[in-house]
Amino acid sequence: MNTKLLIFSIISILIIILTIIILLNREKINVKYAIVWIGIFGLLLLLLIVPKLLISITSFLGFTLPSNMIIVLFISILVFLNIIITIIVSNQNRKIRLLIQEISILKKEVIDNEKTNK
Amino acid sequence: MKILLIIPSYNEEKNILKVYKAIENFNKTHIIKYDYIFINDCSTDSSKKIFNRYNLNHIDLINNLGIGGAVQTGYKYAFKNKYDIAVQFDGDNQHNINFVKTIIKPIEEQKYDMVIGSRFKKKKKRYLTTKMRHIGIKIISLFIKLVTSKKIYDPTSGFRAVNKKIIKEFAFKYPVEYPEPVSIVYLLKKGYKINEEPVSMKKRLHGKSSINSWKNYYYMINVILLIIIIGTRRKK
Repeated sequence: MNTKLLIFSIISILIIILTIIILLNREKINVKYAIVWIGIFGLLLLLLIVPKLLISITSFLGFTLPSNMIIVLFISILVFLNIIITIIVSNQNRKIRLLIQEISILKKEVIDNEKTNK
Repeated sequence: MKILLIIPSYNEEKNILKVYKAIENFNKTHIIKYDYIFINDCSTDSSKKIFNRYNLNHIDLINNLGIGGAVQTGYKYAFKNKYDIAVQFDGDNQHNINFVKTIIKPIEEQKYDMVIGSRFKKKKKRYLTTKMRHIGIKIISLFIKLVTSKKIYDPTSGFRAVNKKIIKEFAFKYPVEYPEPVSIVYLLKKGYKINEEPVSMKKRLHGKSSINSWKNYYYMINVILLIIIIGTRRKK
């Protein structure tokens, strides 16, 4: 690979990983989600630094070009992650709904009690 | 028999008092009394003021949940307050209070667990809906028949009465997405008995119906997918 391109790629990946670490540090994201992203970009970094590994995986999976392998692999990972996120969102919807319902009923009971005690 | 009318209400400021007065009038002229609960689904109009000014029995949802979540709140309330029968009653003044006794009668007689007020049963059309909507309803009806072998003529009717067992069922688990047709399949699959009684409904005078026309196709696809999935689930 072209050296310039290699350096540019490595720097981009490092910036992404750093961003995730900063987000984690500021408690903007949960560690269990951050670790997935760090893992994915760590893997990409490893493949860039060790070209031999990249080439052997490419031929093992039957791809002609390493770039094709990377694209297919990462699209698959992103689709998978999106499905997981959909599951998480659906779960949170359910939990939020339960909270809204229970709090609203409780609020009504509290107001009713105040009225009868007056 | 403790009977509760669950009235979900979203931006129905013009209809609230009409619905309330209909219930009041009914209770004054009949021996049997209906309790009611309005579920205010975080309306953005002056609904909340009206509920408070007239001191109507209501729950203000602290956030908007949509019709499914609002109705389930009503079932939770019914369950907590030990009601024997809960009736879903629309807040847009489309349902006629005089038909409540029609749909609760089979439940009082313990013949059925849920009774749906149907616009289409017994050929006579009692409420003119748009042609497209009627076709949509027929398709949903067909799919329900396919997976449960029970013919429900008006699966999208929001006018329905349920007994104590189903109040409990719904308080804990209610299909909040497309609840009207989906809950039918869910209950039939669990072995509950459902029937329809013919009723007539009024055309709405104020406010917008919750089903917009351009969303209808999306609605249909979602409902059919859910019916097939729930309908083909294995019994546990």
